[in-house]
Amino acid sequence: MSEHVAVALDPDVATGVAEELYGRGWTDGLPALPATEESVQRFLATTQRAEDEVAAHHPQLERHVTVRDVAVSAVMAGCLPEYFPVVLAAWDALSAERAALGGGWQSTSGPGPLIVVNGPIRHQLAINSESGVLGPGFRANATIPRAIGLTVRNGFGIRPRELEQATIGTVGRWQLCIGENEEASPWEPLSEEAGVEPGVSAVAATLVRTFEVVDNRSFTSAQEVLGDFVDTIQRSGALIGRHSPTGILLNPAHAQLFADAGMSKQDVREWIVARAGRTEAELQAVGKGLSHLPGGPFAADHRHPTLADAKPATLPIIVAGSSNAAMSMVFRVLGLWSGRSFPVR
Amino acid sequence: MTAEIIDPTQHFHASTAVTPTDAARPETLAGLRIGLLGNTKRNADSILDAIGARLADRHAQIALIPRTKTQFAMPLPVELVEELIRDCDVVVIGVGDCGSCSASAVADAIALESVGIPTAVICTDAFVQPSSAMAGLKGAPDFPYLLTAHPIANLTADGVEERGEQLAAQVEARLIGSTRTVAAA
Repeated sequence: MSEHVAVALDPDVATGVAEELYGRGWTDGLPALPATEESVQRFLATTQRAEDEVAAHHPQLERHVTVRDVAVSAVMAGCLPEYFPVVLAAWDALSAERAALGGGWQSTSGPGPLIVVNGPIRHQLAINSESGVLGPGFRANATIPRAIGLTVRNGFGIRPRELEQATIGTVGRWQLCIGENEEASPWEPLSEEAGVEPGVSAVAATLVRTFEVVDNRSFTSAQEVLGDFVDTIQRSGALIGRHSPTGILLNPAHAQLFADAGMSKQDVREWIVARAGRTEAELQAVGKGLSHLPGGPFAADHRHPTLADAKPATLPIIVAGSSNAAMSMVFRVLGLWSGRSFPVR
Repeated sequence: MTAEIIDPTQHFHASTAVTPTDAARPETLAGLRIGLLGNTKRNADSILDAIGARLADRHAQIALIPRTKTQFAMPLPVELVEELIRDCDVVVIGVGDCGSCSASAVADAIALESVGIPTAVICTDAFVQPSSAMAGLKGAPDFPYLLTAHPIANLTADGVEERGEQLAAQVEARLIGSTRTVAAA
């Protein structure tokens, strides 16, 4: 068998193809695969959607991409054909995000799309939801968001230092795809909160600016951990306006701690939203006073809540990762999550 | 065996933009209604107000018409375009000081020119690339936009006045078409 492989595969040809794709400016800096009519057809065969159906559009640039264009990007990104319906559902979800429609791909924030997959398709495609969920090593998690990035680059024509103007950008900008660890969660999954029937595979997405760890593994009570989340969420560095939509990738151990204390996901959300905030004086001290906004000027002790309200769209909570150490992540949303989850079809 | 590699960029290369036209210019700003189209970015309205005040100092019977584009990275809504056509003779647009809003401001200016409204659009000099890229995308690669130093968000009130004074003459020149202040490299 190995002899056969040695004969069938020519590494020089592979290198030549990779160099050709780099040279044409079609890749994100990593090697990409060539899309051919044959490979694109294999991807198109996994969906009922017509190849010329519009999969995503960009109002400001007056550009759109078709299902076929997205298939080309998915091939180049290294997806397996069976990932393609998830890539299309991710575009459905991103197309509901005001930030993605409104110039988010060109933003100085340089946000990355966080793609969250629920339902049985996680197992069918081996989408990681457990240990190392944000890390490397899992083909579906790595290539599905890369397909989105290559569509933005090649389909919309938004490239760094041209129409894209990220000041620093986001670590792993086109690598943020996770499964929710529904099996380890004491609560209903994100998709069900968004109105999708239980057991239906679905995708949600939003644009995120950064992640910050909440390492709290020696807790003795739910309140300690909740307070730690509040401390991170209200951190002034992420604040740029009146409110700062935020999400939590919640470690299963933290989720179970809250559930054991009798709290629902909404109870957790309300606890945090009621407490996360800064006074006008605190914000002014770091050059971020909000007195120029309507309703201002504000008294020094006026309290500005970090989050506008306690809705799933304002503070999405997703259970992910393993329980081997109780570390969660706070992520900063650019714009606002639509609160919607889109069935894989 | 060989197979043709698909060009993933063919879709946008193939799009054919119609070459836009500049609106006819007035000889003077005196007596005109000048729209000040802010985009909600910090200090944008203040700079536009300062420019408007300078223009009003120099010309008789100018009417200043402040308007706001609430979604700075989106195309101008149709209702707002109709309102500008109805209420304004010329429009000053600004300030493009971010990756998406600078490109969007240039697109808005080109769109308003094509419906007959002379515009002066202001971007900051950190965003020449997206501004020019958008101009090219809209079929007007040499479209003249005005540049001001970046950043503007943290200017003091005095700084805003100073900036308005610097920009007023360029805005006027652009609106009456006496010079072509081509900023694009």
